Amino acid sequence: MTSSWSKVWRDFRQERTRTFFVGLTIGLGIAAFFAVMASYAILTRELNHGWLETNPASATLRTRPLDDNLLAAISGSPGVQDAEARRTLAGRIKSGPVEWRNLTLFVVKDFARLRVSTLKPQEGAWPPATGEILLERDAVQVAKARLGDWVTIKTASGGEQKLRFSGTVKDVGQAQARMETSVYGYITLATLEQLGEELFFDQVKLVVSGNKLDEGHIRDVTANLRQLIEAKGNQVLRVEIPEPGKHPHADLMGLFLLVMASFGLFALLLSGILVVNLMTALMAAQIRQIGVMKALGGTRWQIARIYLGQALLLGITAVLGALPVGLWGSRVLCRYFAVFLNFDITSFAVPLWVYVLVTVVGLLVPLLAAGFPVWRGCGVPVRIALDDYGVGRTSFGTSPFDRVLAGLGGLTRPVLLAIRNSFRHRTRTILTTTTLMLAGLCFMAALNVRASLINTFDHLFDAMRYDLTVQLGGMYDFEKVQSAIRKTPGVLQVEGWLATEGSLIEGQQPGADDAHPAHHLPPQTGPGGGHGGSALEAKRFKVIGLPVGTKLFQPLLLNGRRLQPGDTNALVVNTRMAAYWPLLKVGDEVQLQIGPVATSWQVVGIIRDPLAGPTAYIPLSFFEQAGHVGMTNSLRLVLSESNANGLNLLKANLDRNLEEVAVRSLNSVSKLDSRVSFDQHMLMIYIFLLVMAGILAGVGSLGLATTMSLNVSERRREMGVLRAMGATPAVVWLIVIAEGLVMAMASWLVAVLLSWPISQLLGSFLLRLMFKIGLDFRFDPVGPVLWLVLAIGLGAVASFLPAWQASRRSVREAVEYE
Amino acid sequence: MKPSDGNNNPNRSVNDAPLVSLRQVGKNYATPAGRFTALQNIDLDIQAGEFVALVGKSGSGKSTLLNLMSGIDRPSQGEVRVGGAELHQMSETGLARWRGLHVGVVFQFFQLLPTLTVVENVMLPMDFCHVRAPRQRRERALELLKLVGIVEQAEKLPATLSGGQQQRAAIARALANEPPLIIADEPTGNLDTGTAEAVLDLFRNLVGRGTTLVIATHERNLAGIDRTVELVDGKIANSARIPTAQLTQEVLA
Repeated sequence: MTSSWSKVWRDFRQERTRTFFVGLTIGLGIAAFFAVMASYAILTRELNHGWLETNPASATLRTRPLDDNLLAAISGSPGVQDAEARRTLAGRIKSGPVEWRNLTLFVVKDFARLRVSTLKPQEGAWPPATGEILLERDAVQVAKARLGDWVTIKTASGGEQKLRFSGTVKDVGQAQARMETSVYGYITLATLEQLGEELFFDQVKLVVSGNKLDEGHIRDVTANLRQLIEAKGNQVLRVEIPEPGKHPHADLMGLFLLVMASFGLFALLLSGILVVNLMTALMAAQIRQIGVMKALGGTRWQIARIYLGQALLLGITAVLGALPVGLWGSRVLCRYFAVFLNFDITSFAVPLWVYVLVTVVGLLVPLLAAGFPVWRGCGVPVRIALDDYGVGRTSFGTSPFDRVLAGLGGLTRPVLLAIRNSFRHRTRTILTTTTLMLAGLCFMAALNVRASLINTFDHLFDAMRYDLTVQLGGMYDFEKVQSAIRKTPGVLQVEGWLATEGSLIEGQQPGADDAHPAHHLPPQTGPGGGHGGSALEAKRFKVIGLPVGTKLFQPLLLNGRRLQPGDTNALVVNTRMAAYWPLLKVGDEVQLQIGPVATSWQVVGIIRDPLAGPTAYIPLSFFEQAGHVGMTNSLRLVLSESNANGLNLLKANLDRNLEEVAVRSLNSVSKLDSRVSFDQHMLMIYIFLLVMAGILAGVGSLGLATTMSLNVSERRREMGVLRAMGATPAVVWLIVIAEGLVMAMASWLVAVLLSWPISQLLGSFLLRLMFKIGLDFRFDPVGPVLWLVLAIGLGAVASFLPAWQASRRSVREAVEYE
Repeated sequence: MKPSDGNNNPNRSVNDAPLVSLRQVGKNYATPAGRFTALQNIDLDIQAGEFVALVGKSGSGKSTLLNLMSGIDRPSQGEVRVGGAELHQMSETGLARWRGLHVGVVFQFFQLLPTLTVVENVMLPMDFCHVRAPRQRRERALELLKLVGIVEQAEKLPATLSGGQQQRAAIARALANEPPLIIADEPTGNLDTGTAEAVLDLFRNLVGRGTTLVIATHERNLAGIDRTVELVDGKIANSARIPTAQLTQEVLA
């Protein structure tokens, strides 16, 4: 080892306490970055791997009832590798006497020969026998059923039937049931017969031959199939083409991980600030040594290499320490995402490129951060370096700011000293305060964004001034429905709406982009009810006819006007529809296909209604003119109480009363349930923001600890002088602690001021990204108070060790220090 | 002022061009209180093999003059030539390389790097200037430590050595690249009398081997000195040759 490398190593060891703090901080940043990058690699691989293992359908064609001949013709068509018939029904399930849950029932022709969009058996029976139902593994908790239980199922056409819950399956393509508060069940055709439903399949899931990842090819194949199906007298109602080869939630996960990786990198870059502080202090302390080395013939670059070597060692140590922590973090994160997105991870192996990337970034950050102070420190002319007195070399007192500080009064001398000391190394103070400030900013922004999102959702849910939505199994006379409702205690008001689907007629779809279903969107919880999103695939959307003067639905009007009495062809679209047809604007004339009829409409308004899928609201009178006078298929109810227990009882009573008048309810969604489900979706964002704030708080406080340690060590002689003049160890301790607190308070003040606009920006960005709507900003006053307490706590803790060391040093030792 | 020179050492050649030559050298510093002139109109020649003492009060400009001769600092005016190199025209990097190969510097407070062992301190100039093969540098460092009498301290850290031992180590370090010129700023200023005498003996030995030595000191009557250059307020007030008769027999041997 050359003497230069000996110096690198020994200096590194000599500065071990501070090096430990800085290394820990960098390590924290690297660990966060590694955890997210490793998770990204693992999850992307596993998600798509698990997805592709199921042989996912290239497309799903929804048709009128299919027969075996048509299915055989489809299977034998050019470009089709495999095709299977399926059926999906909406229904309800309960495992106890009262509580119904929404159910999506999948009917499979032959479980033993599933080839397309396969299921993976988990527990219990496989395949299910007649009279049995399999539940998606995550849905078991929603159904509150145990394996072997008898559960009650009700579908649109059938009565209540008991089926035995005989096994669980994994269905990778479904969103997490707990999040959706919905149950996924799987039965055979024979069991469907038991439920009293007609026996037919109405959808074809197919896998194309040739290039399965070519969306154009898939479109060509489905276009040919449409012709074939229609030539054989059937009808294609809808074509769904998911993005080929990609799990429906891959984009959502990628987005979250990207944001998390950005934060991880941000934390790592912040830790770089500490390296700047450490190396600046080190260079200042070693300036004479630099002078000596230069006098001995060392060039600037040769000497800089010694100090950069220390930064490199710091990086190597941090990377080595961070990798196991990051690896552990990636497993926690992966497990969380796997549960959230409902898939299994078969291997946690992290690809080599992640190690290489993190190592390179982990080594580069301290090197780059050290670059400027080292290069500047090594550039000091040799004579000046040799003349340097080290401790006490400061320009404090020469600037106007110093004089302002000097003019401060009214405080005790030690406190004044602490305040002025805080600003002696201004660059260091600014860098440290910035780190802590950013932590506070992130912390308060997390709380503000959470408060603002909750505020926004409160307003969105407030727009729905009803408590319960009931979808009926068909169109019924509203009078008859009302008679049943009158017999149901707890219902204060009811409105009967009519919901159907519509589409813009060709050439009338400004800016439409329907290539990919909006799988990432949260469940549809708006007045349209049901699970939204899928109508989009065939340029279709929900059309809801509602009483023009309704008081039960009062969303914020973004543009134009609401429906008015006397409107006949007026149409109000919601934000989702406006987002998918961005060129659609108020005043446009559009042609809508509603059922068999094509009619002309004028867009009169755009309302903020992001929780429902793309929806057009029209006057109920349109349906009345079409012959459906006094009919309804969708109810909105205002209840006297909306707590969970009361709701369950009311739903049970309502179902019974409706059945007594031969009205079949398909499903019912309470606003309370929707809100819980929605909050579940948002919880991840809140937790993520707080975890990142926690990491940044860690980085910030370690930075403060490092700075205080540097400040104290540089002022040993001053402390000795103070002690010689009679300052007790407690006073010295107080001065150092107060200095840390001054920086913590300064960071707090700036963070509070900045948190307002930054929170607004961040919250608006998130909402625009997810729901295409603006934010109803709310500043959470808890944030500044909580962060003040935390900042004081962090400042005190971070200063404690340096303060304790300073107060325990003997006067002789301190005064002799050079 | 006519350049002052001297030639009492029998080992140097009288007719050679001076090793160190300063012409009309001045040095000013900008301070918060205004411009401070440290040196002005200095003309000085030092022959190879000469042992020169710069004397004067604190602030007279001794250290500044040494800094200019060693390339540690640059003149504000005038020219500084050492061994044919025009120091006033060289870049910082060029100066550093030149210094490493041609000048050995000994400081008043020794200035050993605290985190390097004594032998590593001595190896450092060889590392910087890539003098000798890496494996041979340690041997050379140990030879030099033997020469200055502290080879047994080679693996210790400087903090564990006495002041005299540290100064011997610093001298060994200054000799590492066999420079023709050694510059020493108050090398005995921080040592007790006995140790200071031992260090001066070392210097005299070096001069006896042909090394040129320039020291700054407060003491006017050091034994073995060829010439004393007295500085007063940044100017050379007197340049006196020491008669050969005053040289010790030890130095002449």
